Amino acid sequence: MTAPAIVASVDRTRLPASRPRGDRWGPLVEGYFRAHAWIVYLFLYLPIFVVILFAFNSATVATADWEGFSFRWFGIALDDDVVQTTLANSFIIAIPNAILATAFGTMAALGLQRVGKRVRGAFDVLTYMSVIVPEIVIALATLVMFATSFDTLNKWFGIKLSLGYPTVIAAHVLFNLSLVLLLVRARLSGMDRTFVEASADLFATPWRTFVQITFPQLLPAIVAGFLLSFTFSFDDYVITTFVSGPGSSTLPLFIFGQVKRGVTPETNAVATMMLAVTMALLLVGQLVLTWQSRRAGRRSAVTMVEIVTER
Amino acid sequence: MATVAPGQTAQSRPKRRRGPGLLTAILVLPAALWYALLLVAPLVIVFIFSFGIRAKNGGYAPAFVLDNYARAVQKSEPFILSLEMAIFGTIGCLLVALPLAYFIATRARRRKGLLILLLVIPFWTSFLIRTYAWLLILGPDLGLAGLLQGLTGADKIQILGTPIAVMIGLIYGYLPLMIFPLYVTLERMDRTLVEASKDLGAGRWATFRQVTLPVALPGLVTGSILVFIPMMGEYVIPQILGYGRTYLMGNALVTDFLEARNWPQGSARAVFLIVVMIVTIAGYVWFVNRGRTTRDVSVL
Amino acid sequence: MADQDLDAMLARMGGARMSRRGFLRAAGLGSAAAALAACTGSGGASTSPSTAPSVAPSTGGSSEAPSTAPTPAPSYTIEKALYMYNWAQYISPKNIDAFKAQFGVTKFQYDVYDNNDALLAKLQAGATGYDICSPTAEFVPGMVEQGFVQKLDKTRIPNLANIDPVFKGLWWDPNDEYLIPKDYGTTGILYRSSMLPSIPASWKDFYQLVKGPASGKTVFVDSMGDVFVFPLKMLGFSANSVDHDELEQARTVLLDVAPHLLALDSNTYGTKMAKGEASLALGWTGVLEQQMSKVKDKGYVVPSDGTIFWLDTWVLLTGAPDPNASYAWLNFIQDPAVQAEESNYNLYATPNDKARPLVDPAVLNNTAIFPTEEQVKALEGSKDTSGNTQRLDIYEEFKQNIGKA
Repeated sequence: MTAPAIVASVDRTRLPASRPRGDRWGPLVEGYFRAHAWIVYLFLYLPIFVVILFAFNSATVATADWEGFSFRWFGIALDDDVVQTTLANSFIIAIPNAILATAFGTMAALGLQRVGKRVRGAFDVLTYMSVIVPEIVIALATLVMFATSFDTLNKWFGIKLSLGYPTVIAAHVLFNLSLVLLLVRARLSGMDRTFVEASADLFATPWRTFVQITFPQLLPAIVAGFLLSFTFSFDDYVITTFVSGPGSSTLPLFIFGQVKRGVTPETNAVATMMLAVTMALLLVGQLVLTWQSRRAGRRSAVTMVEIVTER
Repeated sequence: MATVAPGQTAQSRPKRRRGPGLLTAILVLPAALWYALLLVAPLVIVFIFSFGIRAKNGGYAPAFVLDNYARAVQKSEPFILSLEMAIFGTIGCLLVALPLAYFIATRARRRKGLLILLLVIPFWTSFLIRTYAWLLILGPDLGLAGLLQGLTGADKIQILGTPIAVMIGLIYGYLPLMIFPLYVTLERMDRTLVEASKDLGAGRWATFRQVTLPVALPGLVTGSILVFIPMMGEYVIPQILGYGRTYLMGNALVTDFLEARNWPQGSARAVFLIVVMIVTIAGYVWFVNRGRTTRDVSVL
Repeated sequence: MADQDLDAMLARMGGARMSRRGFLRAAGLGSAAAALAACTGSGGASTSPSTAPSVAPSTGGSSEAPSTAPTPAPSYTIEKALYMYNWAQYISPKNIDAFKAQFGVTKFQYDVYDNNDALLAKLQAGATGYDICSPTAEFVPGMVEQGFVQKLDKTRIPNLANIDPVFKGLWWDPNDEYLIPKDYGTTGILYRSSMLPSIPASWKDFYQLVKGPASGKTVFVDSMGDVFVFPLKMLGFSANSVDHDELEQARTVLLDVAPHLLALDSNTYGTKMAKGEASLALGWTGVLEQQMSKVKDKGYVVPSDGTIFWLDTWVLLTGAPDPNASYAWLNFIQDPAVQAEESNYNLYATPNDKARPLVDPAVLNNTAIFPTEEQVKALEGSKDTSGNTQRLDIYEEFKQNIGKA
């Protein structure tokens, strides 16, 4: 890019889409994008609606036909110790996993910019390997690794390492840090260096440059990585089955376990309640944002209405 | 804090070589540690296992034989079926994800964050009940198949158990993995380039091909790899939505490790899969990189 | 609600501590694994000196006729926790609550696995920390050989006498030292009579139906051992055969039916039948009540040419962190009233003779759940043949041909 660095206050990604003269396809293309987006979101949420709907199904099997409206599964779910423990465990595992994976992945992505080609190549291979290895293989092998190393360590140091939360978190972090690494690097590659250089030219330290220039630009990738890491850990079954210990079962383990007897709408009820909580949190967050920006006197507060309708 | 020595201006300050230093080591260390302990070590175990034999009651017994590899290569039908499924699945995912990622990255403005969040929220419900929901949606009676049957008066329309059902399930399950890399790459794209291109008279398609696509390429590569690879090992979705009618690599591995409890055989199959995948990806990345003068996409 | 004949046993348990025995577990992995250390249980509360008073029962219920009155045994302190590793929802919650109340166990950890092979794989790879699990009987000899299972001290489980002798001394545990039967069932034919011209009575009938009226509407469970029962029994061989020629013949049959199958599904085949997608299935009895409860024309047949029965068992794992609580449980669970409740909840047959009269009549008279005596005599116990390469190859080939026109 040979254009001179443009004043930083212009947010380049947000210029209005000016319509060049004679662009007849414009509205059609725009319409297509919008329609496509709507369809995809409908596609994504259709099963979710079904899940929520069938949480109110009085039948005993989740895959059965509708038998009648009932709240009973919610009651059962709220009463069920096992569900509550496993749900809590899922969070206890997924959140630290997401934090660690995001931190390590981002750090590695930044660090890898500075290393030589060989090291980077080696890392590339490892990153891909972590994604390539089928889950059941890595699950079993990791379990063997844990078991044998715990044995040895326990004998040598007289400690009592065993399977539990740390082993599950560790196993999840592996896959997820690769994910974050790939996302952040995808973002880094081709990132506008002129800002970084300008910052250095203006005597900022590397740290300040990072905080004020690099980090904000990486933020979407970091947030995306965090969300995905949390999601994959929360939903993981195969790896968790093998490396979890007594008492660290997660919700997917409970649900898959139910399959033999028949998945009951209790699972749907749990999922519905979780969605409700998530949506509530979103709403609260939105309200806080609105309240804050109103206080700051900004003219255009982003409201939920605006989000839902087309502005 | 100024680091310029007196008498120097910014331009005349010698450029410090940004070679690897302590900071770099610290940055890379945690990931390196994780890879060493939780990836390399288990993989070494798998590799060792692949040369062993099945212990009497299942598991691993030390040995050094190549039979497992011979069998892995011989029985490659599951591998080929998985390959087919993964290729189509990845293409399907791409077709669905790309316009959406582009839309969110360039058209969504303030709603970007929300739209991204809305993409993952469905995945905070359990995978199993989502898939079971598809059983209901695509099934007879209340589902799509029933609906179509009623509309067309056909005797029996079966969607579940067909490759179509599997494809729907795959795209559904892997969409975020494809969208996110595309999104993060497209989002940082400099829109003024697009504007400039249009101002210079290029049509939409030409602009897309010559401005947008090269920029999106790293994301596209990352996304397709992130989707293709796990799809090679996928077996649960085909088992539930495909009614277990295809015997894939994932099924073969589960049969080896869990049903036959023949870890050496499973390990050999896994190593075979891994090697082929690495070669494939290396080829893919090389292919994408030829003719590119800007920095390698392998940096991703 | 669970009357205890354990009053006698409990009265013997005082506050004295029993020293934990350490167990060494033989490495099942050869040189790749070091010998596994003992007692790395992650949650056992039994190591701490317990000052629990003698665990006298709070319920003064009348006891059942006690079995052989053993000599006064040493008193045991029951730990406060029990780590159960089992199939999902395989124990009646009422029984769990009763147990906890009875013995002062505050923490009943119930972790879940969903197939025997996963359980075994986990144990083989070195997982520890559990007290009791419920493998299917044919897996127990292997587990014993690899040192995962402790020998039982039968003096601590007087209720063993309640178990039907038919289930004792079987090939998987000839001296009844390692396992306690939990429940049993059969592998058979499920059908929907309104969708078929005739009701199958044998595997032969089944074979004809699959290729004919039920073509494209049949489901098999995805389990190698069970699938092989059909051709082998139909041809008059043992369901556990590993004879080369017999298996070859079985292969022909399997490949013959494969194109006619709708699905291979161990988990939702009942739903498929309930929805009318399938009219015939090779499977187990569980789904009849769980997924097909509203179906009026359902039926289950124990094929006349023979089939296997499966037996789920209780075993005490090596290195169990809470041995006393475990023994308490093992004895408790075989109390007739407790067993009857288990049968009512799980809808599987109990091997406990004394419990049978107490089972809900609707369940007891259901021959799908409680096969008749003659049927029981004709059943074959299943063996673990998962290591047989020929079987595996045939099964894989079978799977690859499902639904292929």
